[in-house]
Amino acid sequence: MNLNKVVLSFLFVCATVGFAQKPETNKDSVFVQNLDEVIVTATRTIRQMSSLPLPVTLINKKQLQQTGVTRLDQILREQTGVILTPDATTGGGEGVQMQGIASDYILVLIDGVPVVGRSSGNLDLSRFAIGNVKQIEVVRGPSSSLFGSEALGGVINIITEKPTKEIFSGEVSHRTATFNNQNTNISLSQRAKNFGYSIFVDRLSTDGYDLTPDEEGQTVDPFFNYTFNGRVYYDLDDKWKFFASGRYFFQEFDVASGASEEKDANAQLKIDHKVSDKSNFQYELYYTNYITDENSIDVDSGELLLENDFNQKLLRPEIRYNLTFKENKTLTIGGGYNFEVLTRSLFSDKVTFDSQYLYAQYDFKPLETLNVIVGARFDHHSEYNSQLSPKISAKYDITPSFAIKGSVGSGFKAPDFRQLYLDFTNAVGGGYSVFGKEVEEEGIQRLQDNGEIANLQVSPDELGERLDAESSIGYNLGFVYKKGKLSSELNFFRNDFKNLIDTRILASKTNGQNVFGYINRESVYTQGLEVDIKYMPFPNFDLSAGYQLLYAYDKDKEADIENGDVYARDPETLQTVSLSKSDYFGLENRSRHTINFKIFKEIPAWNANANLRVVYRSKFGMADRNGNDILDTFDNSFVDGYALVNLTFAKTFYRNFQLQVGATNLFDYKGSNPLAASGTEVLINPGRQLFTKLNIKF
Amino acid sequence: MKTTLKLFSLLFIFTAFVSCSDDDGDSASEFVITEVSPTSATVGAEIVITGTDFPTDTSDISLTFNGVEATIVSATSTQIVATIPSGATTGELVLVANGYTKSYPTDFTVLSDLISETVSNLEAPQTGGQGEAVGGPFTKFSFESGAVTDSDTDWDIAFRGTTIAVNGGTATGTEDEPVRNGDAGVSIESGVFSDITSAEGLTFAQDSEGAFAIATGSDNGWYNYNSATYTITPIPGKILVFRTHDGKYAKVEIISYYRDAPAEPDPFTDESRVYTFNYTYNPNEGDTALE
Repeated sequence: MNLNKVVLSFLFVCATVGFAQKPETNKDSVFVQNLDEVIVTATRTIRQMSSLPLPVTLINKKQLQQTGVTRLDQILREQTGVILTPDATTGGGEGVQMQGIASDYILVLIDGVPVVGRSSGNLDLSRFAIGNVKQIEVVRGPSSSLFGSEALGGVINIITEKPTKEIFSGEVSHRTATFNNQNTNISLSQRAKNFGYSIFVDRLSTDGYDLTPDEEGQTVDPFFNYTFNGRVYYDLDDKWKFFASGRYFFQEFDVASGASEEKDANAQLKIDHKVSDKSNFQYELYYTNYITDENSIDVDSGELLLENDFNQKLLRPEIRYNLTFKENKTLTIGGGYNFEVLTRSLFSDKVTFDSQYLYAQYDFKPLETLNVIVGARFDHHSEYNSQLSPKISAKYDITPSFAIKGSVGSGFKAPDFRQLYLDFTNAVGGGYSVFGKEVEEEGIQRLQDNGEIANLQVSPDELGERLDAESSIGYNLGFVYKKGKLSSELNFFRNDFKNLIDTRILASKTNGQNVFGYINRESVYTQGLEVDIKYMPFPNFDLSAGYQLLYAYDKDKEADIENGDVYARDPETLQTVSLSKSDYFGLENRSRHTINFKIFKEIPAWNANANLRVVYRSKFGMADRNGNDILDTFDNSFVDGYALVNLTFAKTFYRNFQLQVGATNLFDYKGSNPLAASGTEVLINPGRQLFTKLNIKF
Repeated sequence: MKTTLKLFSLLFIFTAFVSCSDDDGDSASEFVITEVSPTSATVGAEIVITGTDFPTDTSDISLTFNGVEATIVSATSTQIVATIPSGATTGELVLVANGYTKSYPTDFTVLSDLISETVSNLEAPQTGGQGEAVGGPFTKFSFESGAVTDSDTDWDIAFRGTTIAVNGGTATGTEDEPVRNGDAGVSIESGVFSDITSAEGLTFAQDSEGAFAIATGSDNGWYNYNSATYTITPIPGKILVFRTHDGKYAKVEIISYYRDAPAEPDPFTDESRVYTFNYTYNPNEGDTALE
């Protein structure tokens, strides 16, 4: 797929969609924000999106509807500065990447509370049905000053829709797509004076797909999942407002032998207490439980090969207090307690975490044209060293249409359960062992007692030393220009990470395999710029373009290269050569350039709309293949740049019936995965997916 | 008397002529050799002789290494540069000039050339593995012969699967390992092959109970195992410097673990446990040079 082809096709679509224009005014736009569009994720208070001193993206209901997407990953991948990257392993999930920061370091919230349940650090975003979502808020850059762990690269907050209509109303929709992908959802809601409720049910099933046509088995096995969500709103009076929400997700894969199930449940209770016009409390109680049950069974013998069960629970009470004194001065204080429990078949014991946190934020305007937000959060944790995460951000309006905004903030990510408690010996894979930090000392001791250790490769004093949280400092400097139908933003970013947790060899075993442990070691940086331009040249015609330039490198590796200590093997002679700086490609799975380009067109006379979205990412490398632990030009693991083109047409009939047809990856890009063994074919993308969606409102 | 005078005059003139011709070949003074550096080198290498009163015309100098005439590259009154001629052998270094013949008090050692070779497709089979006990005989290799050997004593290193044993130290305890009866050892250095120029000052590890000097396992010794591609590849920049069983030195860069050293080995079709490696062996006793 080359870009020229994409651009040509794009122009063609513009022409076909564009001929039926009529000078009708449009009330709102897909991109250019309304004045009343607000966002809560950036400050935990309701803030007008355009006034925020941080880089934020808002995906509104209209964009969600017009693109015809039904899962969170599908819409996020079209946003500037957001990339969905495949897991390192073929057939693994996809992870979201922002500002070059991997999925492990990006926090995902539903209505302000975190979802848990990651597999190797990746949170599977296709788990989240977005049929009942009002908007998706994306804050880029570290936000641990408000949200604590995991908010290094940014925060994605899915905001569900509140019932607005007095009468019983709802929507039913069904989307059918390639790979026998069937997605049905029903959403019902009603509001009566001080009481409201909404119910959402979603079912998705698919035959899955295969990226490895030569190999037995499928990359993604057939599966089905259900999402249930019920929400209740009750306003006792002007002062007390209650909100309760329950969500349950169940997914089952149809694997050839064995079973694979995933369950995700959340319950949230929130009480708003308005003490006065100037101050209010929010009391929130949140519980979530994430369970996976996996086992694989030998088809012939019926023997259990691998059992991997995972059960994580989080209970979190939190209190927030907002005080507005004078105009434009808001103090927010919050505190909470996390109780976390995890049982996993690869851990020796049940694991519990306790952590407490406090945060404060002061949002003020020292000048009419200057907004400053300062904040900090302190997290105390039972298993690793405490963290203080400050952040300062400011926005200065030079003219009403031109502003500068900047922020410096810190982020951290707690060592995960695996890094602390894993106690795993892979009998199938040759007998290597992996120990989490908290169990490595006794694990090594156990192996030594059994005579399985050949030699210890680290000093015994180092065993069991506490891990630090991984941490980062992020800098953002942005320029915003908005005038009339044009809105543009340029943001420079730099993120410095330290104490990233890496694996290291603790000992070699007498069977020739290794014992691995975890250590704080790596320091990396990501830097670059993001450009976002939105333009409405005519009524009902929205254009947007986004670009991200990214440099992401490991600092230690850069220093090693400078010292001439990094080598590779020449692919011709297979002999060692010394690498120079220009040979270092940077971190895995990072594209230097990513571009998105979107056109949304409405044709009110036909009750129709159409849109075209193009997403391009430049060449990226998947893994080090020549054993020097960096991605270099001698690694044969690069995927050439490619563009995906997505297209949707919609027409509304009889007011309430809407039919959408569209294509994801219209030009059927499949790519080829360089990591495949020779003679086999492994694809990057399953190819074109066509869909039809019928939506009925009542 | 007159005749006598004439004869004397003739003799004087003759003497004067002879003296003059002596003057033409510089003064007849005796040269002194103060240093020869180095005192051992391979054929073709340059050596520098320092001293005093050397002739400055290279054609007036004769230098022999154990009787074989060397080519003089340059000469000043204090320094002669010469190359060691082919055919030279260890023995007397003799310099003839100004009618004097002097031999250097110590013999000059003509070193054997370093041997740089590639060993292709050395088979190192093993039994067991994948959780089963590993066994089978090691494939022994001698740097001196540059070949696989069955000798129980004249071997330096031995291969079985990914494991490399040295003929030095003690038994590790693995099945079927060869008896160590030499003084071989290994030092794993980082760098490009040609940058490792000497074994001088290196510390050599030997096999010991429970541990090979070249540690086993991925990323520990000489190789990486890539679990995504199931391939074993040498760690770039790891040069194995060996002391041989009889105290000589060699350096090795392993090129491949698969038959015919494919650039992109396919673990499913390319035969593994087949080594290809480059080595440079210094056959000279006590000489640490490797380049």
